[in-house]
Amino acid sequence: MQYKNNPLSPHLQIYRWHVSSLLSIAHRIVGVANIIAVTFICFWALSLLLGEETYELTNFYLNTFFGKFLIIFLCWSFSFQILNEARHLFWDIGLGFDLKVAKITGILTFFGSFILTILFYLVGKNIF
Amino acid sequence: MAQFSLPQNSKIEVGNYFKDKTNSKNLKKINVYRWDPSDGKNPRVDTFEVDMDNCGPKVLDILIKIKNEIDPSITFRRSCAHGVCGSCAMNVDGINTLACIKSHSDINGDLNIYPLPHLKVIKDLIGDLSTLYKQYESIQPWLKVGQTGQEKVEIQQSQKDREKLDGYYECILCACCSTSCPSYWWNGDKYLGPAVLLQAYRWINDSRDNDKKERLKKVADELKLYRCHTIMNCTNSCPKGLNPAKAIGSIKKMLATS
Repeated sequence: MQYKNNPLSPHLQIYRWHVSSLLSIAHRIVGVANIIAVTFICFWALSLLLGEETYELTNFYLNTFFGKFLIIFLCWSFSFQILNEARHLFWDIGLGFDLKVAKITGILTFFGSFILTILFYLVGKNIF
Repeated sequence: MAQFSLPQNSKIEVGNYFKDKTNSKNLKKINVYRWDPSDGKNPRVDTFEVDMDNCGPKVLDILIKIKNEIDPSITFRRSCAHGVCGSCAMNVDGINTLACIKSHSDINGDLNIYPLPHLKVIKDLIGDLSTLYKQYESIQPWLKVGQTGQEKVEIQQSQKDREKLDGYYECILCACCSTSCPSYWWNGDKYLGPAVLLQAYRWINDSRDNDKKERLKKVADELKLYRCHTIMNCTNSCPKGLNPAKAIGSIKKMLATS
């Protein structure tokens, strides 16, 4: 390359965020969080095999403030992932590429994820 | 792993301040990225106070005014000034666009002008696009027909087939979309980027072309095509209002269904 030693023009530092780009990076971060969460849930289920004591211990930690926060966060991260993945599936069949539509579905995904979180929570609490 | 911060020689420093000399009441501060290959210093951002009462309506008018009246050394590409040639593509107010069709009255406060993102800077607002042009060449952007040239028969296209190219043939290759794409920033040497993929789709979709299968096969690659994660910065930035994200989506769909 002729210009190997020239400076690189600024990118992330100056580029403005859009709804679509914010959701895209959020999708990725939340995806990683979810993988860790699923692994954790597997280990939790596994700990049942180790007897009542281990189960009680996990139960205790999950009932602390931080534990509850973690669970609610995971409810949200799964909700968000599901809704945004649905958006990706529609894109895969060629729908929703229009700029306005993509923006609206993005905003719906964001707010929908909170509504879905509340629903998850209420279902978990046996409200219905 | 992508490098998210700028390398040491690209860190931006505070530049010169050019105070207004016309005593105008209607001033706008214009921050412009500057880099001079001859002085060996880091890039800087110069601030110009520009008299808006005597300035044309577009961002390019501001730049030309600065070049004519304040600092003749400011360097940028421009040609047609009507959004047709694609020379004056740059980052205005955080979004890639053509300076010649972007109104500065749309932008409140100071105006920030940078070169297209994540390119090697040649001087001031000019970035090196040779990789993109090479990638463009790699998709063979010309009509490939089965004819030998002896037939002397016109290759016709129905109106309906012609309409399939609407929204794609208008691309002027200004590179606004490709340089707005984070995927292209991190994998610009391998991923073709929205501009080139939109062009690829334009040729795949041309009813007169006989090489559709080969073209699809060539583009179907983990890195060349599937680095598109539908971030949609491309569509958000396209100054011609085209939709590269949709074009890429259509290629993916064609590959999945063929």
